[in-house]
Amino acid sequence: MPAGIHIKNLTFSYAPDKPVLNNVSLDINPGEKLGIIGPSGAGKSTLLLHLNGILTGSGVVRIGETVVGKKSLSEIRRKVGLVFQNPDDQLFNPTVEEDIAFGPLNFGLSIEETDRKVQDTLRAMNLEGFEKYESHHLSMGERKRVALATVLAINPEVIAFDEPFSSLDPAMVLQLITLINGLEATLVIVSQSILPLISCCERIAVINKGELVAVGPRDEIIKDRELMRSSGMDLSFYTKICREYFTE
Amino acid sequence: MKHSFIDKYSDLESPVHSLDPRVKLIAVFSAIIIIVSEPRGEIIPLVFYALLIFILVLLSRVPTGFILSRCLIVSPFILAAAAFYPISIMLTENYQSLQSLRPEFKVAVSVAVKALLSVVLLTVLVSSDKFHNLLLGMRRLKMPKLIGILSALMYRYIFILYDEALRTTRARDSRTPGKLRTGKLKTFGNQSALIFLRSWERSQTIHNSMLSRGFEGEFPGMRKLSVRRTDIFYSLFFIIIFLAIRLTNHSGGCFPFN
Repeated sequence: MPAGIHIKNLTFSYAPDKPVLNNVSLDINPGEKLGIIGPSGAGKSTLLLHLNGILTGSGVVRIGETVVGKKSLSEIRRKVGLVFQNPDDQLFNPTVEEDIAFGPLNFGLSIEETDRKVQDTLRAMNLEGFEKYESHHLSMGERKRVALATVLAINPEVIAFDEPFSSLDPAMVLQLITLINGLEATLVIVSQSILPLISCCERIAVINKGELVAVGPRDEIIKDRELMRSSGMDLSFYTKICREYFTE
Repeated sequence: MKHSFIDKYSDLESPVHSLDPRVKLIAVFSAIIIIVSEPRGEIIPLVFYALLIFILVLLSRVPTGFILSRCLIVSPFILAAAAFYPISIMLTENYQSLQSLRPEFKVAVSVAVKALLSVVLLTVLVSSDKFHNLLLGMRRLKMPKLIGILSALMYRYIFILYDEALRTTRARDSRTPGKLRTGKLKTFGNQSALIFLRSWERSQTIHNSMLSRGFEGEFPGMRKLSVRRTDIFYSLFFIIIFLAIRLTNHSGGCFPFN
């Protein structure tokens, strides 16, 4: 059952007086797919880490009815799955099977239940037969799928993706879009790859210099040229190329 | 990046590889304790241990060149530690000639040989199974949790360090025509610092990823281990031979060369 996300007045800084997130407030409905865009260093990935309680700033972050905090960490991590940008950072076990099993075992599932979960997840991700493969011997596309599988095995209510489309060839991007569109959880996707993002998300939020600049339906946001330009996401280059090569 | 400098020979098929990791751990650590417990200055029993270990290496099919290279890496430390004993005697007591220090040199040689034999045994152990299987074996043997976690994290992070070293070396080489001509020390110093900083940052991300999937200080294991009767038989046989050498030596000079 997907959970909603409520963020109110979230502020966070790594160094004193240099806030990476400044008074961010955002509501995401259960089952919604929200895209987050913004220039590099805007605070997008930092915001994702707050959803899972890896970072805790001042303000309130609530997943469903659970407020993210030290006491609720175990519950929050069961509810929110994070898919990191670089799959090598996510896959730290020797084999694919053990990596997928890591979450369920940590959350107290028995070996038999975990084994079933691993097989189900592998089947859902078209990764059957990869159980005994070593993660670092897989292609980037396969590693990205395994990274997503490690999160899906926990059955999270919310899945947060950090740059899921980076380093993928167009065919893999299409495959990933299909996978993401088939997920039933609440999705938060941070990405600089604007074209794949708009084919996944109904709503888009723009973050710049740690502040939430805008949030709204994707058509409104993407068509607001001034907003996109001022947020460092000038799309005129894409428009020009698309007109030149892809119009019939 | 693809590398396998720790698990390089773990996929070989040999009688040693097929043993249960727990049995191997117990046998190897028992053998090391027996070797180390030999009285100081005893050389001849060490020759017999060496012979047995050589047979074990042959059985494991791990190339002897690989094992020797591992011994070479640690040999400076072992030799320095062993040489410390006669040198300390030379510095603190009156001595007439090197000849008079013969017993001390004998002790130094026995210390060095014991250490080298232990390194060979550990190299065979690590090369005869996947490292994570050994960790699982350690956990099942109720080794302290902290040792298991430290070993697992070290195993994971050593690859990160290696990755970063490879990346920075490639970056350096791509902009270096042949050998470095100027500023060698500065370049290597900067590179080393960068390797550690980048490894530290990546390690943090990996740790975050572990935390996000419920990691609370323990690596759960999926594989079920099973000990066969033959595993117990081979390991007992191995330990008994070591014990026999050790006890024979003590019980009245069965070694005529002593």
